[in-house]
Amino acid sequence: MGLVESGKMPKPLTSLLNTARKYSLWAYQWGLACCAIEMGAAFASPRYDVMRLGVIPLPASPRQADVVVISGTVTDKMVPSIKRLYEQMADPKYVISMGSCTNCGGPYWDSYSVTKGIDQVLPVDVYIPGCPPRPEALLEGIVLLQQRIGREDMADRWRGDPLVVQ
Amino acid sequence: MAEATDTAAEEAQAPRDEEREALLAEMTEALGDAVVGSHVAPGRGLWLRVTRDAWYDAVETVKLRFGFTFFDFLSGIDWMPSPWGRYEDAAVDTGIPRPDPDAPIETGVAGGDTRFQVFCRLADVRRPAPHRNVVLKADLPDDDLRIRSIVPLFAGANWHERECWEMFGITFDGHPGLRHLYLPSEFEGHPLRKDFPLLARLVKPWPGIVDVEPMPDEAAPGDGDTAGGDA
Repeated sequence: MGLVESGKMPKPLTSLLNTARKYSLWAYQWGLACCAIEMGAAFASPRYDVMRLGVIPLPASPRQADVVVISGTVTDKMVPSIKRLYEQMADPKYVISMGSCTNCGGPYWDSYSVTKGIDQVLPVDVYIPGCPPRPEALLEGIVLLQQRIGREDMADRWRGDPLVVQ
Repeated sequence: MAEATDTAAEEAQAPRDEEREALLAEMTEALGDAVVGSHVAPGRGLWLRVTRDAWYDAVETVKLRFGFTFFDFLSGIDWMPSPWGRYEDAAVDTGIPRPDPDAPIETGVAGGDTRFQVFCRLADVRRPAPHRNVVLKADLPDDDLRIRSIVPLFAGANWHERECWEMFGITFDGHPGLRHLYLPSEFEGHPLRKDFPLLARLVKPWPGIVDVEPMPDEAAPGDGDTAGGDA
């Protein structure tokens, strides 16, 4: 991909690349609490059929994944693991934060052990509100992410600073 | 205490629980001076408070001599009234009276002399359900929160004691490995102690209190169409 690296990607090619990328999202999942049930319904059930959006759930490893869906209550003890597996994903990578707990701590806003928002740790692309969100909400979040990917300038992303998690 | 009066009223009406009372008498005889308090709730349960020094022997006796071989759980209790009261909630939600932080410590059934107690529940599962069970308690003095581990008697108590150690700061002598179980290893403090501050609550009241929804027969304040629409 010398073209991408040089930063002289013709617009049609960028658009083609982005279209290809956004319709083959390999989604890696962090199911941590009850949101994972809704995520399971969205990802693994014929009723919601996430594959029609081009999302392939259940990759064998985070190294194959393009997007991670963090759904459920993130505790301070779990954060190092989440960070570690996020770091193993190959760039470009995206994060969907699903549910109130992951967004901001949710009902555990005063807890001594719950992380008040995964965005303190990872760069979140899409927040899905709800407690838990319905599977349709997750599907909408995926569509929003796809719109975002569609508008992305690959060359910018390629030459920009790498995503480093503090 | 409202619960105590309810219990008393129940007990006045309930028939005497001769089986549990007989069991209590037998156990008191077997444990001797170790027993410092007891309580029988007819049809519900039996509580036995023993001295800290006799804790291990009491559990052993109840297990081996009386056949309570099923270890249900072990945990701790902090009876101190919360010094934080209801935090900032009390400023917003005035319907509930503010608790008195200086109120004397009230302990539960079978009494108690100290702020901290350790308790465990054992059951006799030899007969078909309902199984007999007993709750053993021990007082721990504030300045020496230690008690002998019962892991040699019940291997399943291992994690319960680890949890109790990290949540209450109670040390179990003879435990094979007191390490953090739920909390990150660098965690400071003992979260289930009543004086452990919840920092989020110190700075603002519970956000949910602000959204008081009107009762169905009351007029909704402001725009009626959107009230409750976010549920």
